[in-house]
Amino acid sequence: MTNSPDERGLELRELFFETSQELLQALNDEALKLEKKPGDEEIVRSIRRTVHTLKGDSAACGLRELSELSHQFEDALSLEGTATQTAVAEIAFAAADVFTDMIAAYRKGSKLPSTKTLSKKIQDLTAAPAAGKTRRSRKAADKTASGKTAASKTSAGKTSGEKATAARASAKADALWTEYEKLAMTKAQAAGQDVYHVVVKIDPHCAMPIAGRQLVHNAIGLMGPILAVRPDAKSPAASKQVEFVLASVQTVEQITAKCKIPTIAGEVTVELLLDAADAVTPAPGENSDADDSSATDSLSPEVSMDAPVAAPSTEPAAVAAAPSPQENILRVDASRIDSVLNLVGELIIGKSMLQQALNEFSKRYPKELLRGKFGDAMAFQARVLNDLQRSVMKIRMVPVDQLFRRFPRMVRDVSRQCGREVDLDISGQDTDLDKGILDAIAEPLTHLVRNAVSHGIETPEERRKLGKPAHGVVRLNAYHHGNQVVVEVTDDGRGIDAQKIRAKAIELGMTTPEEAARMSEAEIVEFIFRPGFSTAEQVTEVSGRGVGMDVVQSVLHRLKAAISVETRLGQGTTFRLKLPLTLAIIKALLFWVEQRLYAIPLNAVLEIARTFETEVHQVDNYEVLQLRNQVLPLLRLGRPVADAERKAKLFVLVITVGERKYGLIVDLLEGEEELVIKALDDQTFHTDLVSGASILGDGRVVLILNLPAVVEHVARSRPEELGQCNAGLLLSHTDRARLAISQTIAPPVGGQA
Amino acid sequence: MRTSPVRVLVVDDSALMRKLIPQMLATDESIEVVGTAMDGTFCLKKIEELKPNVVTLDLEMPGMNGIDTLKEIMRRQPVPVIVFSSHSTEGASVTMKALGLGAFDFVPKPKDAAAHMAETARELIAKVKAAAECKLKPRMLNGLPPKPEKLPALAGSPNKVVAIGVSTGGPQALEYVLSQLPGDFPGAIVVVQHMPEGFTDMFARRLDEVCPLRVKEAQSGDVLQPGRVLICPGSRHMKVKRLPLGDIVVLCDEPRVNGHRPSADVLLRSVAEEFKAQAVGVLMTGMGDDGAEGLGVIKKEGGMTIAQSEESCVVYGMPKAAIERGYAIRVVGLDIMGSTLQAICGRNTGSEVGSAGRAVRAGT
Repeated sequence: MTNSPDERGLELRELFFETSQELLQALNDEALKLEKKPGDEEIVRSIRRTVHTLKGDSAACGLRELSELSHQFEDALSLEGTATQTAVAEIAFAAADVFTDMIAAYRKGSKLPSTKTLSKKIQDLTAAPAAGKTRRSRKAADKTASGKTAASKTSAGKTSGEKATAARASAKADALWTEYEKLAMTKAQAAGQDVYHVVVKIDPHCAMPIAGRQLVHNAIGLMGPILAVRPDAKSPAASKQVEFVLASVQTVEQITAKCKIPTIAGEVTVELLLDAADAVTPAPGENSDADDSSATDSLSPEVSMDAPVAAPSTEPAAVAAAPSPQENILRVDASRIDSVLNLVGELIIGKSMLQQALNEFSKRYPKELLRGKFGDAMAFQARVLNDLQRSVMKIRMVPVDQLFRRFPRMVRDVSRQCGREVDLDISGQDTDLDKGILDAIAEPLTHLVRNAVSHGIETPEERRKLGKPAHGVVRLNAYHHGNQVVVEVTDDGRGIDAQKIRAKAIELGMTTPEEAARMSEAEIVEFIFRPGFSTAEQVTEVSGRGVGMDVVQSVLHRLKAAISVETRLGQGTTFRLKLPLTLAIIKALLFWVEQRLYAIPLNAVLEIARTFETEVHQVDNYEVLQLRNQVLPLLRLGRPVADAERKAKLFVLVITVGERKYGLIVDLLEGEEELVIKALDDQTFHTDLVSGASILGDGRVVLILNLPAVVEHVARSRPEELGQCNAGLLLSHTDRARLAISQTIAPPVGGQA
Repeated sequence: MRTSPVRVLVVDDSALMRKLIPQMLATDESIEVVGTAMDGTFCLKKIEELKPNVVTLDLEMPGMNGIDTLKEIMRRQPVPVIVFSSHSTEGASVTMKALGLGAFDFVPKPKDAAAHMAETARELIAKVKAAAECKLKPRMLNGLPPKPEKLPALAGSPNKVVAIGVSTGGPQALEYVLSQLPGDFPGAIVVVQHMPEGFTDMFARRLDEVCPLRVKEAQSGDVLQPGRVLICPGSRHMKVKRLPLGDIVVLCDEPRVNGHRPSADVLLRSVAEEFKAQAVGVLMTGMGDDGAEGLGVIKKEGGMTIAQSEESCVVYGMPKAAIERGYAIRVVGLDIMGSTLQAICGRNTGSEVGSAGRAVRAGT
């Protein structure tokens, strides 16, 4: 290793930050399991193991605070009797949170969060089983004390010569005095002296406590040999209190009187440790046996230590298969993959430039034999490029489990906060999705799940009244569907009340009563995606943060994803997110509208139909097309023109947005192409009608329409305005954008953008 | 010396450790990490596949834990195992158990590895190399010996004070020697075993369980008694002191000596100074030369000095240093160490040899 300790430390920490995420997730998972099966020792053991690894790893990285805290927790978990406490799961959750915060703080180099609350909770955990023990031993002590009533009062400083039991004394002596001192005590006792424990508090007003201490020492020394002194004269506590073991023939009263030195000695306590009259000369062996046994007593954790050893060995076989792939996993920064992907994108543009050039070449020299060779080379290159692109895309794909696994914990917390009983059912977690998309839908999906728990599912009482099981179910599912990934959030709760939505929409002025009356329930329900619409009757901490479904909607628009909702009153609601497999490169259909080139994702296109203007009918000011036996609402992108000027023949692209189909009227089809999407920054661009742009091989700019937005734009507009401003708006907006794009991102080729 | 590199298998459930430990081992060219495994099942499989010379084993693992894995390794095809042990009471106890099951030695899990990489790596590398060289005896396969019955402490002072200094390979060697001594052994034994704080207590308890002698981690003021073994706690120094009512040990926190705390030199010197000819110094297996000079002082003061023989040492370092400097009066193998000590200390006669010795000393 050639790198410096600093670099090594950083590298090590980086590795820790990554691996710790898995440990934290495991901790959360195990805590959830434990909550379902409180007191399950196997789960507690695996929590302890996780915390143990976290401790070891953080210690190795020199993250002292984290390793100490996890150590504390680990120790608490290994105590006998801890496992059975119900609080363990709760504390494990709290610990997971605090650990997460701490790691985040380490990562950012910011101030560590307070760990006091957690530390206290852990202490309580250890205190609880210990309390049982102390109680027991105190009872024993009480018994002895009641035998010799005054014994317990001796500490009050008013002793009248009653004698404490030897057992009590030795119990106390064990902790305080060294073997040699104990030996000295028994020897003194055998020699006919009483052994006293003298505690003198130094008067806090005493000006010279150290000198005062010496005076007390001298005074006591006059009464007999001092066998032991605590604390050490040099220790900081020395000026507050001093303890002696004194062998003397004097009585408690005499000793107390001698110690009371005005202005120096405060409270004086004298206790008889060993009575000369009891001297049976205990063999020194007994003495040491006593401490041997006390040593074994405190060894009790050993019992629980054997437990993991005895753990059933049925698991390994199951565990064995899983971990092996992990050994070969390479962790790479996502941005590195992105830059590769970006280059692939450039290559694809390069490919179409070449293709363009070849086409021109073929036109110019139709007889040139080289054409075929060029063509072969192009085809070969295209194939490799295709594979390359797919491979890179695959690298970016991660299982949605990465996102789903955070929900069990969240559902638990939210359901507790709002008094719901909810089971989370997760399926399809192996479905792969582009990492960028996965990250982007984290927030909307979280919102949907929260909503499902706090608004979807009824309270247990309501559910019982309705004859439903008290436990609600929220289901998360993901699956591939064509070129898309569908993520569903389903609850079996109360469903969305279309009447309420209708009323609210009218109240908010989003629609008129007449219009609303015409709408289907499904259409009504879609109002929840409109900005500013929220039906939450009570604003809760959980989902009443002012972000509603409109935020969800806007994020999904950005992703070129669609959301739809399906609900049945009293039975539940399903939100369905349809996500593109990837963001960066799409297969698109290119077409012309009024001499402008546009593209839409190919997977939104169901079919391309040719039809006649005569087939277009007017229904309530909407244009519809009867295609075979279905009626499609039509969207015209161009400016309205007089009927006479219209061409008799039309191209209609049948597209799906959400669950619904529309017909998109275009002037001319250009063809199918793979587009590398260039992100558009908001500065040059103010419309959400376009989701991105791309540059063709010849340098032309093509705008990719954001279909959900386009549909919404048109559908939302009043019938009488339809076609007059909206479509025109579309064109003018996009023209401005087109100009901006061609100035900023078009490559310097001789294009006529 | 071996020519081919030492093949090491690293077993740990922490991904971080699986990276860190090979990194540390890679600093030595004669060591090659041939594989890693994340749990016991994998470990056993990889031992068969890779045939490592040494295995480093984490004791806390999901599924098949370290202790079970160790038992399996020892049952199937013994390979020297170095266990990684965590700094906790429980960790210490499991570690001692592992040593009892035949683990070669242990290394505490690295703390703040970046800052102490060099030291941690050095210790690990030395132990791995020592483990690769060791002649592994299949042992303890039929479980622990029955718990010996303890005799009550003998009255009076010990006739001799045996001071033992031991390091790498010590836990096993010491256990062997002490279990050879009878409960009525007339001498008192004080031991410095290079071992971190927190482990010595468990080590002492473990020895106490398997030996007829009474073994205890020393506390200041503990009295030297015949048939009693006091183990110096980690991170302290231990000295002995003669007092009117008996002989005691005193712990102190002086700086490291020879890079060690506890240091065998500190103990051996103090035993020599206090007990003169009654002192018996023993240096056993271990790296370095801690204790060699102390042994010299015992010899000078008229005490008996013993060094463990080369062939019975796991690491022939400390005894070698003493022998080369001419401080060892006798060089004995591990197998006869116990009987040698008995011969030197003699059967317990019950007589107060101790006070006689004290009288002599008072005269000088």
